[in-house]
Amino acid sequence: MQDWNGTGIAARGQRGTDMRKSHPFKFKSIRTSILVSFSVLIISSLLFFTVFSMNYTEDAVIENSQDYSMQLVRQVNTEIDTYINYMGNIAYTVTQSQDALTFLQQEDEGQEDSGSVQYGGYPLQENREKESLGRLKQQFTTILDSRPDISNIGILGENGRCLVNRGDEILNPYIEYRELDWYRDVIDETLLSAGGIRLTGIRALLSASHVQNVIRGSYPWVVTLSTPITDRQTGEPEGVFFVDLNYSSINSLGRNISLGSRGYVFIVDDEANIIFHPQQQLLYSGLKKEKIDEVLTGDSGSFVVKDGDNSRVYTFCRSAETGWTTVGVSYLNELMKNRDSMQNAYFLSALVLFTAAVLLTSLISREITKPIRYLQNSMRQVEKGNFAYAETAVDGENEIAQLGASFNRMTKRIQELMEQNVQEQREKRKSELNALQSQINPHFLYNTLDSIIWMAESGRTQEVVVMTSQLARLLRQSISNEDEIVTIESEISYTKSYLTIQKMRYQDQLEFEIDVDQEALSMPIVKLVIQPLVENAIYHGVKYAEHGGIVSVSVKVAREKLVITVADNGPGMSRETLAHIFEKRENGKSGKVGVYNVHHRLQLYYGPEYGLSYKSAPGAGTMAFITIPNPNWEETDDEAFRQ
Amino acid sequence: MKHSGSKMESRKRLVLIVAAAAVVAALVFAVVLVRIRSSRKAPYQIVFIPKVVDEENDFWKALLEGAQAGAKEYGIELAVEAPDAEDNHAMQSEILRETAKQRPDAVILAPTSYTQVTEAAREVVQAGIPLILVDSTLDERLEKSLIATDNLEAGRRMAECIKPFLPESPVIGIVAHVQGSSTAMEREQGLREGLAGYEDCIVGTVFSNSDYQQGYDVTMELLDAHPDINVLVGLNEYSAVGAARAVQDCGMSDRITMVGFDSSLEEIGLLESGLFRGIVVQKPFNMGYLSVETAVKVIQGETVPAYTDSGSQAVTKSTMYSEENQKLLFLFREGEN
Repeated sequence: MQDWNGTGIAARGQRGTDMRKSHPFKFKSIRTSILVSFSVLIISSLLFFTVFSMNYTEDAVIENSQDYSMQLVRQVNTEIDTYINYMGNIAYTVTQSQDALTFLQQEDEGQEDSGSVQYGGYPLQENREKESLGRLKQQFTTILDSRPDISNIGILGENGRCLVNRGDEILNPYIEYRELDWYRDVIDETLLSAGGIRLTGIRALLSASHVQNVIRGSYPWVVTLSTPITDRQTGEPEGVFFVDLNYSSINSLGRNISLGSRGYVFIVDDEANIIFHPQQQLLYSGLKKEKIDEVLTGDSGSFVVKDGDNSRVYTFCRSAETGWTTVGVSYLNELMKNRDSMQNAYFLSALVLFTAAVLLTSLISREITKPIRYLQNSMRQVEKGNFAYAETAVDGENEIAQLGASFNRMTKRIQELMEQNVQEQREKRKSELNALQSQINPHFLYNTLDSIIWMAESGRTQEVVVMTSQLARLLRQSISNEDEIVTIESEISYTKSYLTIQKMRYQDQLEFEIDVDQEALSMPIVKLVIQPLVENAIYHGVKYAEHGGIVSVSVKVAREKLVITVADNGPGMSRETLAHIFEKRENGKSGKVGVYNVHHRLQLYYGPEYGLSYKSAPGAGTMAFITIPNPNWEETDDEAFRQ
Repeated sequence: MKHSGSKMESRKRLVLIVAAAAVVAALVFAVVLVRIRSSRKAPYQIVFIPKVVDEENDFWKALLEGAQAGAKEYGIELAVEAPDAEDNHAMQSEILRETAKQRPDAVILAPTSYTQVTEAAREVVQAGIPLILVDSTLDERLEKSLIATDNLEAGRRMAECIKPFLPESPVIGIVAHVQGSSTAMEREQGLREGLAGYEDCIVGTVFSNSDYQQGYDVTMELLDAHPDINVLVGLNEYSAVGAARAVQDCGMSDRITMVGFDSSLEEIGLLESGLFRGIVVQKPFNMGYLSVETAVKVIQGETVPAYTDSGSQAVTKSTMYSEENQKLLFLFREGEN
């Protein structure tokens, strides 16, 4: 992390060129590739599994809730069936006994319409009827006493005779019970078989929840089960037996079912009449709608109603006994209450996993690529030629470590080869120099010696001394000194000796001048580079000059360079001759060997940008320039800037 | 350390990627936190202050049931606070002041008085609590919304009930409840509109002050003053029942046609007996439910109508046992036998 920050500033300068080249999905470093691809992989798999498990959870929650609701709904159905069966049993007991028929078929002469029970008749019958009535009353009282969920129980006759509850209640004078649905539909055989239900031994009608209004001053909410009392001989219905189940039984059944704090249960009958609904009034007023048609489509099932926060799961089951369908409604967001916290847990763990994964990936990729980066650094150093820093660290045995080891061996070998090469070059240069040194023109030596003899014969002793001493100096300097590098001063003095001897030989035909910058005197130079040029100037230039030749040697310091000029006023060279001047010729007689040799040595020593150059034209003399670096030159900022 | 350009470049990119990942992670984290917070948000608290809580009074019982049904459906914590009597204005004011201190999310109020509880109601509104009025109004418009029976409409419905039974030369008397009360005035106005063409037949309006005995007495006086009255209209339950008792005691049941208001066992008996040609009933369950629904909408910042009619229904002898009207007329009582 630290070195990333360190590189930030430097990187800015590079961005311009590097960014242009980089492909958006191709990363410059292996490390980034590893990190990015791993991260993408991890994120997508985490995302996938989170979404998958959350959806799975949602489905599982809904399914669980449907199972649970179905159980509750069935339980409600069972309890209702128990009630209805109980009522059916009562109805069966009463209607099948002779007592009810006896009571209804009693002949009353003083028939009343007030609903109060009167009996009388023939003395023989009277007793039997009294007994029947007594038994019925007894039976009704027992039922009412033992079962508080039974509101009313009674017999109503076509002829107006009736017995209700304990026999002491009066019928509602404003209601004609023969017109009530639950009475009329039971008396009529066809209506009963159309809308009735079958219970053990009887056919009965089960009403929707309603207000029972047949008894004066009492308006309880009930569910009425009614069944005809038929004369078995004639098959004619004589009256109706009815039993009222207190609505509070069903109400509490519905209300006590827990389907979350918002969920509820409702019950509808076959004809879509609502038996129980906690918000029945809202339904009547149209303030709410209930999915009644949907739940009446089958015997049992479940469906989900999507409605934002009010999305609900409907689970319904129809009772075969009563034909009523009980429906459980639970709210999805309540079922999903746990899902939210589960979702948060998923998210948090995914987040933690992701962070850990990224850190780990970053670490691993860093470890993997570290030796590669080292290797990369080393290669850059090798590229620049810095073999000293080229060795890369090799840890362990893996592929990259082996690569590093190979690289190290390779660079070492290259380094050795290079050193060997340098050594060989140096040896070669030395032997070339030696060859050059031994190349003092033998003709020059014979001629000089001839001149000395000729001067001695003619008694010019003084001149013999000078010439001989100069020759001795020349020979000493050329043979004795083993050093490759000499000072300008010694090189100039060697040249001067040579020129002095030649001037004595050629007399008036040769003049020479030497001009050396004072500061150049102590500067080093490769040995024996000026003299060969001077020799050429004499033999190819001055020798052909008509009115005495002049050879001028000058050494000038020109900023970073040192320029040595050897000029003659000879006939000059043609363009063609000039073009071939650096060609090596094995002909020892020719001075051209010297030109090649000098140029070659200068370049070997100082580099390709230095060396020898010529300027010449026919009739304009020849100028040879030696250019070497100025060893005292220091590039100041000022000068560098000016460049 | 020295680095080459491409290396620095890739590192820079790496930093960017890690930073982007961190930002994404932080965002997700924030979202998760917000979700946790919102899912833990407590349910809305609404205080419901009716005129009275009386198990014997079908109207207030149904109103409360409706409010509770709404509370269940919307997941509301509903606190019910009521004075001990319908005319205990001081106690209702006290309850309002206490409620203002508790700072619930909304207050649903059925004011006991048009004028006397206004000041306390203002304190609630000044505490920044939205106020929903139900059934009755105040002399100052403090509420976000009013849910009540449209009494003009209810009056017109009473007129519709009686119109088919008007004798050839009707003489009409009105037994209202409280002089100056908005409901009495509106119902009477609606009734008069509904009886257009017969306004001149209305010979007098008396006031029962919502008391059976007083209703009985003033009806007697009215009948004394106008012995030819053949139509009587009671503008609330007390007035209607008091008037009916007087008519029965005078033995004029056969001669006088009546219309009642609101439901009670006695009124149902009168309807069955035929003395009442009809009863106009309000829909207190809907009123209670709608008040909670409106309160929730107000809390959630939705716009709500200033006034919602909870509706009324005319019931005659022939329609009184229809599925819908049964629920309006006969309140189901727990443990009833």
